[in-house]
Amino acid sequence: MAVKAFSNEWAKAFKDEVNKSSVYKTAGKGWKWTVGLVVEAEPVNHFPEAKGIVMDLFDGEARDIKVGAASDAQKCDFVITAPYTRWKEVATNQLDATKGMLQGKLKLKGDLPTIVRYTKASQEMTLCTTRIPVEWPDEK
Amino acid sequence: MARRKVKAKQRGTAGSARPGGSREESPPKLDVDSRAEVLYADDEPSAFASMLGGLIEANVRSNPSKERDFDSLKARVGIWVTDIDEGVTLDFKGGHLVVHNGLKPQRTLTIRTDADTVMSLSNLKIGLLGLPVYYDEVGRGVALKLLTGKLKIEGLLPNVTTLNTVTRIFSVQ
Repeated sequence: MAVKAFSNEWAKAFKDEVNKSSVYKTAGKGWKWTVGLVVEAEPVNHFPEAKGIVMDLFDGEARDIKVGAASDAQKCDFVITAPYTRWKEVATNQLDATKGMLQGKLKLKGDLPTIVRYTKASQEMTLCTTRIPVEWPDEK
Repeated sequence: MARRKVKAKQRGTAGSARPGGSREESPPKLDVDSRAEVLYADDEPSAFASMLGGLIEANVRSNPSKERDFDSLKARVGIWVTDIDEGVTLDFKGGHLVVHNGLKPQRTLTIRTDADTVMSLSNLKIGLLGLPVYYDEVGRGVALKLLTGKLKIEGLLPNVTTLNTVTRIFSVQ
């Protein structure tokens, strides 16, 4: 059953997908920082307010993933920011997150060598988002 | 005109112990950090240029052996990412680096590959004698891309040593 985009149900489904992934479990070994995803508002696409996704990731496990205010996500060790449409492109496999970052479509804040060291883990996390059936507000 | 990136650096630690048991209060000074100077040739560096420049700067500042390589390297290295149609030229000038958007002429080496392989190149481990490791999973992947033409390196044969130095500077491992 589809969940609403960037809702608490979506966060739970995302956490479950990450924790089901043996690839992430291996690739994320040693990771110990929080990651915040900022989804910028796009009222024209029925996404009127920015949201923040705070991910507590530790050593190949998603300990917690919460949806809240953008300001919460901005306090994380690593912050990736993009408008709603870009995140939708990532979650529907139309935009590769690595390419998106190199092109500046996704803006990254945080220690670059660390995030590059965990490229495989971040790619797997992206794949996890694509496995969640989502109800998109602009497709209603 | 190159834009200078000036970094403020705190020098000295207030209240640090000195020989002889005296404690000298040295106020933090703001100074220009001359290590690993990265300059951007364009007023608006592309996201890719900023990312590579930032990555190299962070690598060199955190690792003395990479800093030695950085200080000694004089070469112009182009990197073209085939699946995003963007590239940069890294102009290493022995202690500082000028990052240009796009490919500039007179390059020593030019690497043409996809975004994933650029990430793999920066994840190559460095082994004995400072040589990149091509026998682990990441290294084998890079070697395979080279053999299948998905990674092309122009100017490789006369500049193998330069490529190894660039790889060491670029590697986050």
